[in-house]
Amino acid sequence: MASSWWEIQVLGDPAAEEAIFWRLDAFGARGVSSERRNFGLLVTTYLPQFQVEQLDLAALALLLKQDMLCAGLPVPAVQWHLIEEEDWSSTWKQHWEPQEIGDRFLINPAWIAPPEQTDRLVLLLDPGVAFGTGAHPTTQLCLEALEMRLGEPDSATNAVVADIGCGSGILSIGAILLGARQVYAVDVDPLAVGATEVSRELNHINPEQLVVAEGSVERVACLVAEPVDGIVCNILAEVIVDLIPGLEAIAQPNTWAIFSGILLDQVKAVADTLEDNGWFVAALWRNGEWCCLNVRRSP
Amino acid sequence: MAKKVVTVIKLAIQAGKANPAPPIGPALGQHGVNIMMFCKEYNAKTADQTGTVIPVEISVFEDRSFTFVLKTPPASVLIQKAAGIDKGSGEPNKKKVGSITRDQLKEIAEKKMPDLNANDVEAAMKIVEGTARNMGVTVTS
Repeated sequence: MASSWWEIQVLGDPAAEEAIFWRLDAFGARGVSSERRNFGLLVTTYLPQFQVEQLDLAALALLLKQDMLCAGLPVPAVQWHLIEEEDWSSTWKQHWEPQEIGDRFLINPAWIAPPEQTDRLVLLLDPGVAFGTGAHPTTQLCLEALEMRLGEPDSATNAVVADIGCGSGILSIGAILLGARQVYAVDVDPLAVGATEVSRELNHINPEQLVVAEGSVERVACLVAEPVDGIVCNILAEVIVDLIPGLEAIAQPNTWAIFSGILLDQVKAVADTLEDNGWFVAALWRNGEWCCLNVRRSP
Repeated sequence: MAKKVVTVIKLAIQAGKANPAPPIGPALGQHGVNIMMFCKEYNAKTADQTGTVIPVEISVFEDRSFTFVLKTPPASVLIQKAAGIDKGSGEPNKKKVGSITRDQLKEIAEKKMPDLNANDVEAAMKIVEGTARNMGVTVTS
């Protein structure tokens, strides 16, 4: 196994992406990555150190320049250097660590053993293909708002909650850890539905207590026998505005709701739509540029 | 949920064979993206296309979660297929290894249109033709 890799970077015109890919592929690259940068497209590939010499790389740079000149495109900047091999299957985990949120929660990455003794509610998560890792202000705001709504034992005991746009399922699980009797989690993204199911299993939650389905508000309306006590919806302002009229189908006079994923300059449009549809904004919480609206069906 | 994209990374990799080795490991690892989860999802979605390069565009969000969409195969792969060759020429100016017709060129350009930095089919054809030329593949009328 190689212990070092050549990291070869080509900064070129975005229109040259296909040609750069072909040249690197022909050079023996086993895949490339590309990312837009301010000054063009940065294409990167890697080759084991033993596979090529410095002279080969210099020849590659010349061929890339020739390709671009023939195509009438700007000459790319090509550079290379050696990097040490790492266990890339696990080094990404360095970016994650247990995180306390609000007064009650501890979000714990699934690969880290949770603390044996803690007075916090431990929420296990394998962050990945669905939004809601606990690292974003909107998720934090929603968990804190859930603490407020479900924090008192009496308020949580019988609560039925709908999580619209459930992502990783972090808010649904948070609601259950706080004592909600039943949660219906829906998302239009099948990846998110799968992620919530994984999170449910990680946290040893009964599938009957946390029902997960693909869809939106209308799917919740089909699933519930009667209106829900609470709604949590952490999506984006434009989507929330579109969803608000349909929420009546799952709400009752005592229903409360938490809306987040709203930027500060979008709050007015969301609040106006809520009030036009019979909701009362009780509080606005803010974390950086993001906001969370705590609302009620009755004044 | 509230998805604010931090970066978009495109990977051109073999269908069904994603693993944490370069380029995937370094490209995604620096952003804290769950590499094993990506590989599992990508391999599952491309398992029926093994043997072909299927590029994938990965959007990384502020909370390091991600989503991805599969893209069309690279133009060079489509050109090789249309020309019936296994690889391009090492010396495209001197040694031609195959040819495709202008109709085939247009077909490839139309297929690649959604993923190319081109405003119309003519511009897309120009990009694809440039790649063909670099590969030592001529375009015939």
